[in-house]
Amino acid sequence: MTTGRNQPRLPIYLDYQSTTPVDPRVMAVMLPYFTEKFGNPHSTSHAHGREVAEAVERARAQVARLIGADEREIVFTSGATESNNLAIKGAMRFAGQRRKRVVTLVTEHKCVLESVKRLGEEGFETELLPVTPSGLVDLDRLAAALTEETGLLSVMAANNEIGVVQPLAEIGALCRARGVLFHTDAAQAAGKVPIDVEAMQIDLLSISGHKLYGPKGIGALYVRRRPRVRLDPLFDGGAQERGIRSGTLPAPLCIGLGEACAIAAAEMADEAKRLRVMRDRLLKGLMAEVPDVVVNGDLEQRLPGNINVGFPHVSGQALLAEVPELSLSLGSACTSAAIEPSYVLRALGLPDELANGSIRIGLGRFTSVTEIDFAVDRLGAAVRRLRAAAPQRTGAPAA
Amino acid sequence: MPKMTFIKTDGTRVDVDAPIGLSVLEIAHRNNIDLEGACEGSLACSTCHVIVDPEWYETLPTAKEDEEDMLDLAFGLTHTSRLGCQIIITEELDGLTVSLPAGTRNMMAD
Repeated sequence: MTTGRNQPRLPIYLDYQSTTPVDPRVMAVMLPYFTEKFGNPHSTSHAHGREVAEAVERARAQVARLIGADEREIVFTSGATESNNLAIKGAMRFAGQRRKRVVTLVTEHKCVLESVKRLGEEGFETELLPVTPSGLVDLDRLAAALTEETGLLSVMAANNEIGVVQPLAEIGALCRARGVLFHTDAAQAAGKVPIDVEAMQIDLLSISGHKLYGPKGIGALYVRRRPRVRLDPLFDGGAQERGIRSGTLPAPLCIGLGEACAIAAAEMADEAKRLRVMRDRLLKGLMAEVPDVVVNGDLEQRLPGNINVGFPHVSGQALLAEVPELSLSLGSACTSAAIEPSYVLRALGLPDELANGSIRIGLGRFTSVTEIDFAVDRLGAAVRRLRAAAPQRTGAPAA
Repeated sequence: MPKMTFIKTDGTRVDVDAPIGLSVLEIAHRNNIDLEGACEGSLACSTCHVIVDPEWYETLPTAKEDEEDMLDLAFGLTHTSRLGCQIIITEELDGLTVSLPAGTRNMMAD
């Protein structure tokens, strides 16, 4: 998005892990379903309902294709938070006392951690595994945690703060061999890196619409049919979505999610290549501007559009305030309003000082090289300014 | 002739004859057991949902996908839930015990 020669339009959006704009192609497909094609997709007794029902089912197939699933295995939800709640609580509550342990990682999204915590309050056993300093799961440690008592493991496909992509196929194999259900929160990964629920032996997978250029307020949960995975529903109602998720489907949003998935499936490889080139340029530029910059999390096993960097002796909050023309965040969007350092960065073993000086830079479909160069320039200047203003600064935020 | 037992929602046990080749749904109807069977065994509903005694569950042939699809919609589903219309009595099932669930969901009536 440029206004002229080498001058990007401001502010520049560099927070694609927080949310993404709706792709104009997605918008175009959705629009008629708000107005002339307004039927209730569950009202299949008349033409108004049926034409929308058919479009929703096409969308369901598009979502399924992105992850190598069957369309009958896709349940529409309001987003990844609901999908994660439904998968984790639903599977464990259905399993009941048969397998009463649920295992996850300390670096999971809050909605996963809080769902697990809730299950703990209900009497289930919970275990939160640490990660290695690169942010990746320790497979030996994971294998040891998957006992005969374990009902479900939840490991996110790609982390929302540091973009680290977990070894899903290896984790899936461990789970399947032990009869443990494998849930993955793929809100950040779906449409960005290849995912195949068969090859990776995933039983439950959460998708978010607005993280992959679809609308907000829609998501999906993949629920394996063979062998059948059963869930206690969160909602009581009209038994829509195979009884797993009652409630009238927001047809335009479902259709938008489908189109977003179809575009992602078709363009993922090229987009990933493009984003990696830009991310490398960004990182190289930052290293030239600030030689002691630190990359948080594994650089190879990572989303192509994510980088999380720490600037020693600089407060991340002060840094963001110095660059109002750049839309960046400290950690996740949920916690960026909180002062405490990111629990994800601390789980990597980062000292508070460096965790406090870290920012997340998210690149996406509409990011340009001009914007990257501009951001590098501004960030470099801001770090130098802050360091000059407080030369003895140790990074502890001023009271 | 094989026998089977229905456990009603109030906990009472009803022992009945279970002729080979008949389904649990058919046996229920012959004996005035309150098992609905709205679609008459055509795998279009889940109203003949029964909970098989865990000791018997593994003896039953595995449910087909169509049955699993219908069970998805059953009210109060358990790990040993089956559709009564799909359990056909054989010699091996002599003594089979099933419980009636607390409720059913009839999509046609909803």
